[in-house]
Amino acid sequence: MMGPQSYIFERLVRVVFFLVNMVALYLLLRGHNWPGGGFIAGLASASSLILLSLALGVAAMPRILRFDPVRLAAAGLLVAALTGAAPLLAGRPFLEHFHTHLHGVPLLGDVHVGTPLLFDLGVYLLVVGIACKLIFVLAQSTQGLRALVAEEERRYSSPLEQPLEETAGPDDGKERTDAD
Amino acid sequence: MQIETALLIGVLFACATYLILQNSFVKILFGFIVLSNAANLVLLSMSGAPDGREAPIAGQGAGPMVDPLPQALILTAIVIGFGVTAYLVVLLYRLFLDQKTTNAAELYADQDTSEHT
Amino acid sequence: MNLAIQPVLLPLLTAVALLFWGRPSPGRRAFTAISAGAQLVVAGFLIHLTYTQPPLVMPMGNWAAPYGIVVVADLLAAIMLGLSSFTALATILYGYCEASPRIEHPLRLPLVQFLVTGINLAFLTGDLFNLFVAFEVMLIASYALLTLEADNWDVKQAFPYLAINLVGSTLFLCGAGFAYRLFGTLNFADIALRARAMSDDPRVTALALLLLVVFGLKAGVFPLYCWLPNSYPILPAPVAGLYSGMLTKVGVYVLLRVLGTVLPHDLAGVHTLLAWLAGATMIFGVLGAISRNFIRGILSYHILSQIGFMVLAIGLFTPFAFAACIFYIIHHIIVKSSLFLVGGTAALLNRTDNLDRMGNLWRQTPLLGVLFLLQALSLAGLPPLSGFWGKYAILVVGLEQREFVLVGLAILASILTLFSMLKIWNAAFWGSSEECEVCVWDWRWLRMSRVVAGMVAVSLAIGLGAEGVFRVANRAAVQVLDQEAYARAVFSVTAKGTPAGP
Repeated sequence: MMGPQSYIFERLVRVVFFLVNMVALYLLLRGHNWPGGGFIAGLASASSLILLSLALGVAAMPRILRFDPVRLAAAGLLVAALTGAAPLLAGRPFLEHFHTHLHGVPLLGDVHVGTPLLFDLGVYLLVVGIACKLIFVLAQSTQGLRALVAEEERRYSSPLEQPLEETAGPDDGKERTDAD
Repeated sequence: MQIETALLIGVLFACATYLILQNSFVKILFGFIVLSNAANLVLLSMSGAPDGREAPIAGQGAGPMVDPLPQALILTAIVIGFGVTAYLVVLLYRLFLDQKTTNAAELYADQDTSEHT
Repeated sequence: MNLAIQPVLLPLLTAVALLFWGRPSPGRRAFTAISAGAQLVVAGFLIHLTYTQPPLVMPMGNWAAPYGIVVVADLLAAIMLGLSSFTALATILYGYCEASPRIEHPLRLPLVQFLVTGINLAFLTGDLFNLFVAFEVMLIASYALLTLEADNWDVKQAFPYLAINLVGSTLFLCGAGFAYRLFGTLNFADIALRARAMSDDPRVTALALLLLVVFGLKAGVFPLYCWLPNSYPILPAPVAGLYSGMLTKVGVYVLLRVLGTVLPHDLAGVHTLLAWLAGATMIFGVLGAISRNFIRGILSYHILSQIGFMVLAIGLFTPFAFAACIFYIIHHIIVKSSLFLVGGTAALLNRTDNLDRMGNLWRQTPLLGVLFLLQALSLAGLPPLSGFWGKYAILVVGLEQREFVLVGLAILASILTLFSMLKIWNAAFWGSSEECEVCVWDWRWLRMSRVVAGMVAVSLAIGLGAEGVFRVANRAAVQVLDQEAYARAVFSVTAKGTPAGP
């Protein structure tokens, strides 16, 4: 999944990356009562990262991201679960949410905020992490790279496992049968 | 509107069944994707005829709204379908790496499960 | 603290914590074991509470039923939670004994906890769509566990499992949609109240049949069981123990719940169909078991045959039959997973579980032989072991209803079960051949057998204290069938939103 080696594409992607993430933020914040929300914002952010990987090459992504997508997803799940569980400590039902109106916030004016935003943030992180992980693993593997970088291999694979990619590169002329 | 939706659902289910019964991995994969979309369409059609009704968005429009619940259900089903499809893609890819084939008939040609080492 | 949601929340948080923990280590293992123990304690407390009180109801997000999603813990759900956390704890401990932390797969424990999350949510949920979500959580975790440690040959067997369950999920989704259109609600209690007036509506029967296909597929009822016997043997022994105990029983539980609590009780045609399918399941399952020549394969087919007994009890559809079914579930989950664990230990000792190459186990390791014999005879249904009482109760109901053919099939299936259990016994334990070595020096087997011995002790206690267990099962059955009390409990919770009175 190495992108076209084009200067224009790469520069354009760097600009589009920020634009897409602005849209994602907008979708995340308006998601309580209007179309939007954590899931769709997460998909937007993930697609911006995937675009970046097309421009810079998927092998460069672990260096750029500096976080492990699975851990990001786990953090999102943790945020969402804790937001749901917090009311239990006060004897309230699971997933109960609370809202408040803030008046006269600088730059924003009147704001309606609530704990659903935290829950959505958790969903957002979860979706970004999972979607990135899915695409990057497949992309690395189809390019004949190891699907997991060294750090991830330590965390998510057993010492008994052999990487699949060592025996099968992308273009080693193996027979392909696609006939019915 | 409901008749057309029903026909479309029928066509989608038929296509999905046909594709899933093929041998090629790619067709099987497409079959499952079409199948989950057909099911989502079933859910959508359960909110009744949408003629002349507003989209279910808070604080917009005064007329009658479309039943929002099936849409919430579809959203959940889409998310789940997304995850399962991703798993299916990776599983088929791994089968291809392991067995060097993308044909289900070849994959299970030498199946004898009565004994196992 | 609202107790009803804890069985879902605890494993979920444990799984997330384990993902952050990273590498397997003794500390990580101890943490998981403590969490699993805590889940067992919570489930035990829930059984204690619901035995005397009406079902515990928690409205999620403080929105009242039928508009909000509710979590309902009644006695049957609490019993199932107890069984799932007990099996999870036992299989986790068994896994610890089987492999050192150095070679443990780092994702196994988190995935097991996710699996338990899904299973527990399926037991607790009070509406049809949330049940779908619970199934999916459970299934996705089970797909991942199935292929996590599979080798190249084994991975092939995961694809049919995935494909069939995907079709099942799609049908379930359609079923939930139809139910919403038909009743205007997805809440179990609300459906129960509305469906009673329309029990002669053919659409209700059609919906019941669609749901029967979906849940029959999860439970492994004939002819929808072909995904099971080839996929379970590819699992590592501890995970296979958990799968064999819990996954199909979730399907049986849901059949109990949907036919007992949700749908009207006078769908006689559906019940009869279910009973006959159960008869076919028993026979085909046990015949499949006879055809197999390795322990895990035989045991996998026996799951199906035993599912037949439980589903037969549901199909007979009397309060006593439901009690018998619940008793049978309690008996079966523990016996079946401990048999898989015994099989795993035997395979470790002989370095294979192909019966042709096994032998000498009784002479070298009599403890394991005793454990196997107790559970195998219990599975076949010999008194005074737990399996006997379950089968006895089911057969009594069958005779009362004059279903002599079905009773005959059940007895035949029991005899054939005994036959195939003795096949394992003769080949692996009693048989002696010079060339097969028993690796008694492999110290792991002793600890593994101790874990199994704990399960066997519980199983023996169920058999010897059958009277008390049956009393609990009876109360659970009465509660499941009492749709009005269920609806009253669900609608009496005060929360946001207009509570729609019954």
